[in-house]
Amino acid sequence: MKPRMTLRWIVFAIAAFVMNFPVLATLITAFKPPGEVSRNPSLWIEAPTLENFATVLTVSDRLNVYHYLWNSTVAALIGALLPMIVAFPLAWAMVRRGVGRGMLFPLVVNLRALPLIIFAIPLYMMYSAAGLLDTKVGLGLILAVVNLPLALLLLVNAVADIPAEIEEAAHMDGARLPRLLIKVVLPLCRPALITTFVFGFITAWNEFLFGLMLTTRDAVPMTVGASFFFATSGGGVQWGTAAAVMVVAALSPLVLGLVMYRRITGSMVAGAVKG
Amino acid sequence: MTPGRSFENAILAGPLVLFLLAILGFPTVLSLVYGFSETSFQTLTTPQFSGLRNFRDVTADPTFWQAAWFSLRFGAITAILQCGLGLALAVYLAPLTQRHGWTVAILIIPMIVAPAMMGLMYRLVLHEFAGPVPHYLYSWLGWSPSFLGPANVFKTVIVAETLQWTPFAFLLFLTAYQSIPQDLREAAAVDGTRPWRLFWKIELPLMMPTVFVALFIRFIDGFRVFDNIYTLVGAGPGGSTTSMSIYIYETFLRRGEIGKAIAAAILLFITAFVILSVAQRLLWGRSA
Repeated sequence: MKPRMTLRWIVFAIAAFVMNFPVLATLITAFKPPGEVSRNPSLWIEAPTLENFATVLTVSDRLNVYHYLWNSTVAALIGALLPMIVAFPLAWAMVRRGVGRGMLFPLVVNLRALPLIIFAIPLYMMYSAAGLLDTKVGLGLILAVVNLPLALLLLVNAVADIPAEIEEAAHMDGARLPRLLIKVVLPLCRPALITTFVFGFITAWNEFLFGLMLTTRDAVPMTVGASFFFATSGGGVQWGTAAAVMVVAALSPLVLGLVMYRRITGSMVAGAVKG
Repeated sequence: MTPGRSFENAILAGPLVLFLLAILGFPTVLSLVYGFSETSFQTLTTPQFSGLRNFRDVTADPTFWQAAWFSLRFGAITAILQCGLGLALAVYLAPLTQRHGWTVAILIIPMIVAPAMMGLMYRLVLHEFAGPVPHYLYSWLGWSPSFLGPANVFKTVIVAETLQWTPFAFLLFLTAYQSIPQDLREAAAVDGTRPWRLFWKIELPLMMPTVFVALFIRFIDGFRVFDNIYTLVGAGPGGSTTSMSIYIYETFLRRGEIGKAIAAAILLFITAFVILSVAQRLLWGRSA
């Protein structure tokens, strides 16, 4: 290997280590026995153990991880799927018929640049009137708004990439619009739909502000549940258990993200450049 | 257009429009009502019109201006740091990432982790007894700063935000760098252009649009920051890390000053809207 390439590997290793340091240190701490953490805060584990994970995965009054995980799963599924459902027909109409190109498209796409807190307060009041406060559906609905801009953008790009001839051929065969959309356009958009879903699910799972403001007990998502655990442990945080909670909380977006990282990076770039 | 067709179009656009109206349209109306009213959690259903009073209260509150100043500085500094670091990494590591795609996956891990979780993780990492960073600083230097104390907390949150989101800038720049036609570089190599000159004279100018887009996106994200600062230090010692989002949150839920919080949110919205319109005219050459 050329010395220049070796230097690049070294720079890569340093950058990867520094940027991922909190994640790495949390992962290591999660495998330390409770007594070891304060005595040995280094990156070396003297006596690796699964004890912290056993504690986290055991239901107690203070912590029910399954409850948080379930809430996050349901809310993130609504938050990822709903924008695709409402954006798909409009994306087609925008590309093929120019519907809403002038006003609706910029309006929706610009939503993602606004500070979310602006919507949080009136939504809190609306939800408390509508009985949606502290429900998974309520949380899922606002997560859907968060994901809507990128869903519309990616689906518009996907429909625009479909050659018009394919649709015309189906039209000649007498396919009516609903059939055309579902049987022809939808399957051709599959890659974009998968990307939109993965990205939306991760974004929704990782969201914190709305979870914090709009849920209190029944629908608390994992991110907020993990922060409760830090706040409520009087007399000092149990760092080993806390680290295990964070590992559990970060696991599903990480696995999904790493498996699909090519799609995610692609959509991030597309979202930024075409926004 | 035939009537049948416009009916079809309405059906196609309908779900999204209705969804937006229900989830955002209605709350926007509520915002306007409560922004100009006297309200508390006890009198939520009977707001009393109070004109511009909430706006006067907000603009007279020094904490509001402190939060605005914090958000501006935080957004600007983190955007510049992230784009500088991201650009350097993307260009320098390009030969490596091109051949070994998995290295990109390793570098983007921080942005797949929830910012709120990242804030909690930094709490562990920087903790004076349980954290590895103070531990190693003590054993190597015999000294460690108080990372979350009043003197350092601003630098700490800047570094935490920068390290989490540099990967985003890196990714944008990597894509832009790879899309520069290879024959441009080959032509430069034939002319005997040195790599450093190649970068400044050819590659960087071609990447400038991406640099501005990345700076803008990172500034907006930094400006509206909430999650990671909130879970790491909350409002910070003496309110020193109160961002606009944290200010509005605390005014609303901690102090129950609904009208004032909404007035602040409306001002934030106007600010964001102005920044967005100006930036878009400059960046994409179209109106918002």
